[in-house]
Amino acid sequence: MRRWLRDLLKELRYYPSALLGGSIILIMLVLSVLVPIWIPYPEAVRLWRGGEEVWYRLPRQVPPAWVNWFRREKLAGTLIFSTRDQPSLKRSQPAGEGRRIETEFVFDYPYDTFPQELVLYIWARFREKAPFLTATWKTPDGRSLRIMELRAEGMKQGFRFAQDRRLLQRLQGVPPEEALFSVPEATPPRVLKGTYRLRVEAVTFEPDSDVDVEFVAYGQVYGWAGTDRYRRDLGVALLWGFPVAMAFGLLGSVGTTLIAMWLAAVGVWFRGWVDELIQRLVEIFSIIPFLPVLILVGTLYSRSLVVILGVAIILSVFSITIKNYRAIFLQIRELPYIEAAQAYGAGSGRIILRYLLPRVLPLVIPNLVIGVPSFVFLEASLAVLGLGDPVLPTWGKVLDEAIFSGSLLQGSYYWVLEPALLLMVAGLSFSTVGFALDRVFNPRLREI
Amino acid sequence: MTPAGVRLPGPHPRSMQRGWGMGESALLTTAPPEAIVPAAPLIETARRVLLFVAFRILILAITVVVAVYLTILIANMGGYVDQIRRAEIREEVSQAMVANPAFRSLPPEERARLQQELVRQRERYFGLDQPFLLRSVIYLRDALLLNLGRSYQISSDTGSRQVRLILLERLPPTLLLLGTSNILIFFLTLWAGLALSRRYGHFVDRLVIGLAPLSSGPAWFYGVFLILIFAAFLRWLPFGGMVDVPPPPDAPGYALSLLRHLILPTLALTLSNFFVNAYANRTFFLIYAGEDYVEMARAKGLRGRDIERRYILRPTLPNILTSFAIVLITSWTGAPILETVFNWPGLGRVTYEAIGLVDTPVIVGATVIFAYLLALTVLILDILYAIVDPRVRIGGPGIEQGAP
Amino acid sequence: MTPSKALLQISGLTLHFRTRAGIVRAVDGVDLEVGENEALVILGESGCGKSSLARAILRLLPRNVAAYHGSILLDGLDLMRLDDESFRREVRWKLISMVPQAAMNAFNPVLRVGEQVIEPALNQLGMSRPEAMERARTLFRLVGIPEAFLQRYAFELSGGMRQRAAIAMALITSPRLVLLDEPTSALDVLTQANIFNKLKQIKWELGVSFILITHDIAVSSELADRVAVMYAGQIVELSDAQRFFREPLHPYSRGLLASVPRLRHRGELAFIPGRPPGLIQLPPGCRFADRCPLRFEKCAQDPPAIHREGRMVRCWLYE
Repeated sequence: MRRWLRDLLKELRYYPSALLGGSIILIMLVLSVLVPIWIPYPEAVRLWRGGEEVWYRLPRQVPPAWVNWFRREKLAGTLIFSTRDQPSLKRSQPAGEGRRIETEFVFDYPYDTFPQELVLYIWARFREKAPFLTATWKTPDGRSLRIMELRAEGMKQGFRFAQDRRLLQRLQGVPPEEALFSVPEATPPRVLKGTYRLRVEAVTFEPDSDVDVEFVAYGQVYGWAGTDRYRRDLGVALLWGFPVAMAFGLLGSVGTTLIAMWLAAVGVWFRGWVDELIQRLVEIFSIIPFLPVLILVGTLYSRSLVVILGVAIILSVFSITIKNYRAIFLQIRELPYIEAAQAYGAGSGRIILRYLLPRVLPLVIPNLVIGVPSFVFLEASLAVLGLGDPVLPTWGKVLDEAIFSGSLLQGSYYWVLEPALLLMVAGLSFSTVGFALDRVFNPRLREI
Repeated sequence: MTPAGVRLPGPHPRSMQRGWGMGESALLTTAPPEAIVPAAPLIETARRVLLFVAFRILILAITVVVAVYLTILIANMGGYVDQIRRAEIREEVSQAMVANPAFRSLPPEERARLQQELVRQRERYFGLDQPFLLRSVIYLRDALLLNLGRSYQISSDTGSRQVRLILLERLPPTLLLLGTSNILIFFLTLWAGLALSRRYGHFVDRLVIGLAPLSSGPAWFYGVFLILIFAAFLRWLPFGGMVDVPPPPDAPGYALSLLRHLILPTLALTLSNFFVNAYANRTFFLIYAGEDYVEMARAKGLRGRDIERRYILRPTLPNILTSFAIVLITSWTGAPILETVFNWPGLGRVTYEAIGLVDTPVIVGATVIFAYLLALTVLILDILYAIVDPRVRIGGPGIEQGAP
Repeated sequence: MTPSKALLQISGLTLHFRTRAGIVRAVDGVDLEVGENEALVILGESGCGKSSLARAILRLLPRNVAAYHGSILLDGLDLMRLDDESFRREVRWKLISMVPQAAMNAFNPVLRVGEQVIEPALNQLGMSRPEAMERARTLFRLVGIPEAFLQRYAFELSGGMRQRAAIAMALITSPRLVLLDEPTSALDVLTQANIFNKLKQIKWELGVSFILITHDIAVSSELADRVAVMYAGQIVELSDAQRFFREPLHPYSRGLLASVPRLRHRGELAFIPGRPPGLIQLPPGCRFADRCPLRFEKCAQDPPAIHREGRMVRCWLYE
């Protein structure tokens, strides 16, 4: 068995594309195991469906940060500073009834473009007397500007620079994203690069009153995968797509192949009406339209991937390949050495292992491998139709939203390309390996 | 087996033929009596083909009935078809009542009671009080006759809500798209298979083999890439739809616009299917070119062209038809998404719309029509098999009847 | 050796193939002669290159041919000098036809048998269809197949019938020479005998020459006018049939004839120990030496063709 495997690998050496595909498959499988550990399922669901709470910090529909490598004009990254994440940024001193809390955000701005949006989020804890906050902006060239004065309202609020009338007045109508970052008097506006400081001072009036602030400069790029229309980090969905695609693909393909093989064997073994029945069922199922029925099930009953997988397997099992397996099993049945083996007392297990399996494997294994992308794309297909799993983040879902939110028209190509390329890579890796395996297992194909 | 169909060259053709009858009795050493009936060849062939076709239609009809029944069962497991029928009845009754002046004069409670009574009557008439399996048979009868009820929301271009009309109206664009593409793919892969088999080992040959794994991607997937490149980026071709909006008034302009819109979806289908089928066909041709009778044909002094046509192509046709059958079937079942991605106003897209609106009657109806289309495809393929392969007609040894 | 009237003279015919394992020297310098209306039987074990010889004569070369040369004179015309197109037009089936080994698969399964039988007549001779069909009917009658089967497909014919149909097909153009490559090895004994009888009848009635390649000595002895023995790609003995069967010259021929089981033989069956050499790694010197009971030192050199009393033998014993 081990030698057979070694011979197999030696043969595969002749197919470089298959080797590449094989390594990619291994990487994908490893990722599929790591991702659920790294970002556990509840966390993934939270990140993907959490709503505004989770997403608010990310810019809307921006490409990944690494596009800047290809651009001369560097797009603005997203800068996030929060005293909730880094309490050390806060300095608090008692003052009167409450405290005086000073926070200073110091950062470098090395980009060539202005940020998309500037927001200061404020969390205030108080009972009756609301804290009072002011914010001051210091540019690298030493200019200083008071940008905010307000009294906290409620638990959380967001001070959007671009919407504050007083700030706009102070900046003489120029949008703050531009004004606060530009070289003075420069036309056209140019970014002033350097170290900026944003100082927020809060005064509280109650002993246990506290204030946290968060400054977000929404850039035009974010993360390694970018964001979608809802400000979600696409990276989460793309990563979780791996285990989903691998599980769906492998379970679907392996399940279908094994059950089909078993059915073919049963038919050949029992002959008579059992065999006839299975053949009739194959004919019937060839008329049942695969995707429309899945659509039916998905629309009427459940879109859960588990249910869809089950139905898909049932529909796929009764397909032509049963006939192919059956042809091989029929050949085997006729073989004299089966009878001989039975005559000398070999048990069915041994017969199956030594005689049946080696003859049927050349057909089964390539089928199995090539079947995986079909299922992977099936999940994507259903997602594009709007019947994707309601909870899980998958590549298909991302692709679906990308296509139908008009991203192509808006030029957000990355949104479509990322899931599409992942799907393509996943599909191609399995199919190159499958095709190579087919040629390895069927040597006559090689002579040709 | 895959939902999309595995397009491997399959087992050696010889392995599919059993018992070629080696050796025979000594009685055959002398000439058998002339009692063997030599029927006139052409009439005989025609008769056999017709019998075969009739037989296959019968079997297919039964298959369609069972398949549609299963579909109805699936749809009605959650009582959805019942819902459709109930809603229809209620609508009919209320419409009837509104139309009838006699009812309008009645007081509201009377009217309500009468309405309920009428509804109940009709429900009983349509068998809605029957047990599940029986009801399903009634629905089956309706479905087979394409009496598909009324939609919840979608209406046809003519304003009717009859599901049958809605769907049949959308059939021609689908046929146009899939028909054109599939015919193109068939001849392209046939020609390519032949061309490649002649240039075995050549760079182009290996290129096509290397690109065969592209078949793992469905057509709509390539469609997305194509739209990205040719419509969004290069702006050479339209994003989708069937014709420009507004459509050109003159015939040649309309045709041209139609053609422009056909290019990308056809290209998508081709990308997904061409390489692997060209590879499979070429492999078939190479395998069949090694047959003994091909060498005999060469020995007999036949010209290369003739050998290719009569001795390689013709015997291989059944295999080519089989791999093409898979292309056809997957293109039918993939129509909903392909049309959705390209916004092509056909059967598939209306299915997509129905999904969004949860317009169950339309979805169920569309499934039935797809089943019919598949059955028709299978029938046509069977007929082609019978024409092309005499073993199927006459029932040679070891040949299984019927298309996959 | 001068026969009554030489129809075909082959000298130095060579056909080598290139394979992964090396160059297969299937036909390695073969000299043969066949006269008018003469049946030459070529005897040899499997793997000696017999079938390749038939293909070499008809120029049915595979894709991996490594060497192909020699001369084939038919009525004085050197066929090897013809270009491929002329060869196809003038020689194939017009002058030389073939009945393949195991005609099981010699017929196209999707064309009617009759169609294939008359094909060469239509193509090579330009005959009209009715004429060709008439001839086909005659030939079918000659070989003993009911005419109705002309309209049938190959799979509707039994193995023996297919073989006979192949013979009819080989005769449709009245060629001068018919190559028969193991025409009956796949059939049972009674059918074999039957077919050989038919062949005798055909030879008598049509005046055609045969080259019959077979390993079946007993039955072919009936038909042979002349016998050639092939071993490891070479002809090691060529003789008229009478003298051959009475007194074979080459040790290999003797071994072959001795190994034919006789009905009333007592004792062990004779056989030649060892195996013929593979056609890739041919030993130097006489190729039969390692199995030859009569070998001596000279056998380390490749023996030339030695002619004696109108017979040819490749063996140092006859120097």
